[in-house]
Amino acid sequence: MESASHSCVSTTPKTPMAQTELSEEELLQRVARKDSRAFDHLYEALAPRLFGMMRQMLNDDRVAEEVLTEGFVHVWEQASSYDESRCKAFVWAVTVFRQKAIERMRALGRRNRRVDAQSLEQVTFPADAASPDSETVSAALATVPKEDRRLIECAFLKGLTHHVMSEALGQTPEATKAGVRRGMMHLRDSLKKGGL
Amino acid sequence: MDPRSEELAALNALGMLESDEKRVLDGSSLVDRELRDLNAELELVAAELGRLVVPVEPPADMKRRIRAKIRSRGGSKLRSISPLALIAGVGWAAAVALALASIWLWRERASLNQQFNSLREAIAPVTQPTAEKEEKEKPPARNLEEELKKLRGDFESQKTALNTEIEALRKREADANAKVAQLVQEAQAQKERDAAMKLHVATLQSEIWEYRRSVMTIVWDASKDQGALMLDKMPRVESGRDYQLWIIDPQKPDPVSGGVLAVDDKGTAKTTFKSTEDVGDAVKFIVSVEKKGGVPKKEGEVVLKEP
Repeated sequence: MESASHSCVSTTPKTPMAQTELSEEELLQRVARKDSRAFDHLYEALAPRLFGMMRQMLNDDRVAEEVLTEGFVHVWEQASSYDESRCKAFVWAVTVFRQKAIERMRALGRRNRRVDAQSLEQVTFPADAASPDSETVSAALATVPKEDRRLIECAFLKGLTHHVMSEALGQTPEATKAGVRRGMMHLRDSLKKGGL
Repeated sequence: MDPRSEELAALNALGMLESDEKRVLDGSSLVDRELRDLNAELELVAAELGRLVVPVEPPADMKRRIRAKIRSRGGSKLRSISPLALIAGVGWAAAVALALASIWLWRERASLNQQFNSLREAIAPVTQPTAEKEEKEKPPARNLEEELKKLRGDFESQKTALNTEIEALRKREADANAKVAQLVQEAQAQKERDAAMKLHVATLQSEIWEYRRSVMTIVWDASKDQGALMLDKMPRVESGRDYQLWIIDPQKPDPVSGGVLAVDDKGTAKTTFKSTEDVGDAVKFIVSVEKKGGVPKKEGEVVLKEP
């Protein structure tokens, strides 16, 4: 924990209970009430996974750090828009940070830049799952047919448009779009079965 | 739901749409609840994939940089506290102020009493208390009383000021509640108007190679026989020809013209249109290539159609 002089705003409410015991959802709700200690804990919980995602998408540590900063500023300012009944805090954060990364890629002209098939071949999620939730997602993704899964992995981890992906993979845009649709519907159904 | 809409929602969830495609999806989602729900659902499905990313520890000073950034933007956010929160805050502040004032008064009184007693004890061994001395000892007691009276006065005036402020904030809360109620009422009325409009969203596609990337989205209001359309990536029509929109009513033997489409050099068009004849509620749309200026009865090749 950093010193009090580094707190985000001067109106920080005191938190009587140990926040490390709170769920990410509870922490995010406290952040919405401008609790900077909850923000610190939430940062500790989410930052490594989100930073990993930013580095994958942006392929540039400096830009990834900038987007991570933008994302957490957004979390601080817009945490009140989070609806716990709709999704988990982590899922909400991923949506926010991915959107920020895609906006940055667009601003840098990287969205439509050509990529070669070789570089996409190495783009894949790790096989070993780190938590029960990631285990469920990993198992659901494994049920998606290989070719459709590859499209989803490349799209998620690289943030490319379907035109660029079609070109890189040497297939028609129609085939790419149809594969993404099939894969995502399949993944949705598998996640539902897995209880997420 | 048609596969084309599912496709757009799936691509959007993974951030794969071009800006123009995203606009078409957003437009269609506004009037198509099923599409809107699927879109939201697939966005969450895609976000779940974030759990599979390999975590990477950010630089050690990252949190400090984020805090600095937040602080540099913090002023305006502090002002955006809701009236309710403000009222709650002032309530607490008043309670805290009352408690602190009570404690302070109690301690002040105890301290003065102690001083008074000490002085009395210090004087006692030297001289016997006399009427004169006792008279001299009275002023501190009077001072204490006056001091307490003054503090009580200050406290009462602070309490009055806080009560006035709380009253003003309560009034603002009542005004805000009235405004919210009015907005809810307006939203309900708008919802009813939308329901009465009988809106139908159609997406037209083509099986012809040259038109494979072309897409047309139509929002059709069956209650008024009129609609709005967005057309994109349409090849340039050959000289002396025009694209013409047709409305297919199963109750009519021939398609009814929806007018000639003015497609710009980029292959896009955005316009509103009306049916030239009354048509039923369950209609479909097609686009054909016709003679320049359009024809009253469809003759040319159909290039886009609603699946």
